[in-house]
Amino acid sequence: MGPLIPNEIITGQWDFVIALLIGGAFGFILEASGFSSSRNIAGVFYGYNFVVLRVFFTGMIVAMVGLLYFSYMGWINIDLVFVLPTYLNSMLLGGFIMGLGFVIGGFCPGTSYTAAAIGKIDGIVFAGSTLVGIFLFAELFPLFEGFYYANNLGNITIGEMFGLSNEVIVFVFVVIAIVAFYVTWLIEKRVRKNMTEYKFE
Amino acid sequence: MKEELFVSGRNIPNIDPYLNIWHWEIPVYLFLGGLAAGIMFFAGYFTIMRKEKEMQATVKYAPFLVPFALVLGLFALFLDLKHQLYFWRLYTTVRLESPMSWGAWTLMFVTPLSMLWVASYMKEVFPKWDWKFNILNQFEALAIKYRKAMAWALMFLAVVLGVYTGILLSAFNARPLWNTSILGPLFLVSGMSTGLAAIIWMSKSKYERKVLSRIDLIFIGVELFLIIHMFMGFMAASEVQIEAAQLFLGGEFTVVFWVFIIILGLIFPATLEVLELRGFHIPIWIPSLLILIGGLLLRFVMVEAGQITRYLY
Amino acid sequence: MNTETDIKKKPNYLNPYFGGVLLGLLLLATFFIAGRGLSASGAVKLSLVTVVNKIAPEHAANNTYYSKFIPEDGSSIMFNWLVFGAIGTFFGGMLSGVLYGRMGKLRVEHSPKISKRTRIIAAAIGGLLFGMGSQFGRGCSSGAALSGTAALSFGGLLVMAFMFGIGYVVAYFVRKLWI
Repeated sequence: MGPLIPNEIITGQWDFVIALLIGGAFGFILEASGFSSSRNIAGVFYGYNFVVLRVFFTGMIVAMVGLLYFSYMGWINIDLVFVLPTYLNSMLLGGFIMGLGFVIGGFCPGTSYTAAAIGKIDGIVFAGSTLVGIFLFAELFPLFEGFYYANNLGNITIGEMFGLSNEVIVFVFVVIAIVAFYVTWLIEKRVRKNMTEYKFE
Repeated sequence: MKEELFVSGRNIPNIDPYLNIWHWEIPVYLFLGGLAAGIMFFAGYFTIMRKEKEMQATVKYAPFLVPFALVLGLFALFLDLKHQLYFWRLYTTVRLESPMSWGAWTLMFVTPLSMLWVASYMKEVFPKWDWKFNILNQFEALAIKYRKAMAWALMFLAVVLGVYTGILLSAFNARPLWNTSILGPLFLVSGMSTGLAAIIWMSKSKYERKVLSRIDLIFIGVELFLIIHMFMGFMAASEVQIEAAQLFLGGEFTVVFWVFIIILGLIFPATLEVLELRGFHIPIWIPSLLILIGGLLLRFVMVEAGQITRYLY
Repeated sequence: MNTETDIKKKPNYLNPYFGGVLLGLLLLATFFIAGRGLSASGAVKLSLVTVVNKIAPEHAANNTYYSKFIPEDGSSIMFNWLVFGAIGTFFGGMLSGVLYGRMGKLRVEHSPKISKRTRIIAAAIGGLLFGMGSQFGRGCSSGAALSGTAALSFGGLLVMAFMFGIGYVVAYFVRKLWI
């Protein structure tokens, strides 16, 4: 009956060892799919390489469907799965700033570690400056503490927000994903025909 | 809310919450001793096998690290002593039943011997080196002449040094975690592995790295085997030993041990070395650095965890 | 001009859909084992709190943001799921890089139209922004977007939608960096 650690089936510090192994698999999959190159990642915004969308979306729907199935079969207690609390204002701003950072820097923290691991200096710089960014945030925190906690809608799920059941939401996502895959495939073919200097790394 | 009840108001340093007097100096010395033993052993071995030309870093360059490692290690030990001005008394007696006596005398022989070894190769590594005194030149000629004999002595003393670092701990029968005879071979193998890692890092020849990587893989495998069987021994022994092993199986040392020493310090570098032998390109400093850090952490963890385990209260 | 002739050597990447399936299965396993997803920014945050706590404990205790993450019983802050996940990500990436031959000397990867320095400055600015944004958004793309949405949390969906949405809007203005 999962999840295993909150249910105390795996105890003690073993969960950190497992965290390392899971992180290892995560880094491996990211790097093998090409996420260690910032040009691959930024491609999603310009249409020449949609690997981010494909891997992300596929991963998301597989995990979503899997969680639904597990919960249905009784293998996992869905109430113990961590759902992000929704702080409306703060998250909107966060998404905004992160979007800027994403398109300028071309990485996200996880992929910057894999890039750093294979020797990309821009990955190392990105990882280092996330540290500085968080430091700045923490130092300036008293300024926007109110804003940070504003408008807490609680740990709500998408289903609760829109009044639909989880199954419908997942179905909608899968449909959107399939449409997106097809559309991006067409776009990518078009854009690549016009691009001439794109060299993979 | 957490409530803590203190039964006693005692808070004597080094005695509470558990009796511990060996701090960082001892693990540092154990690591440096093992490293030096590893380098010396292979320097001697490849000299006897007459492979000096192919294994230049092993025989000529890496032994330069040994005198420094030994002197630094001895200095760390010196810092740990309580009555430092009387350290020379260790050398006024030979006690066959005391590992510390064995260690002191072994180091007494090994340090000058390694310095002689380095001195005999000084002119090859630094071509402009000049001894300036005729007697030193004669010494050097003598050293070069008796290199084979020195190699044999180095190999023997290296094994003694490596094993004794483990026996030093396992002679404490009041510490259940330490009182296992597998610690001697374990520290020897670990020392050899770290020595090999250091030599591989310094080496410039592909052939040498290949040979040493293969040997290193064997030693890492043996080390993993010894560690697993050490835990099997603990789990099959009395209650105090089982408790001692629990420190590493779910207790406070689980993460450091399994993540940094076993996975990142042994299994991952071994994987990288296998891949390197298969033809994948790896910057050579990565597995070597990981193995060295793993070796250092192993000794830190063993010394610290050992002092937590006890037979009484 | 033919795109094919300009691609010097075709890199050896996994099929993205296959990679996505693997990622989804891994995420599922993570949820099953730990009840939470993966997040890389959390590890950086915790390391920062550790460092600040070591150097200036009073400042850390006074600052309401740091003090949230300092446990009262004095146990180590770094001993957290996220930190070890991040360490694992680093070494997992290294292993994959080795197996696929992408492991090499230190290099800066940049579009041929900009200089190395520009790329590094851009990476630094991007990282700074991302660091700040990830704290507002309660997670980075792996934490909030991927894991959050997979667990069907509304916040995760919000962050993801906004992140990519703004990315598309701003992409036009910084296109010189990439194409």
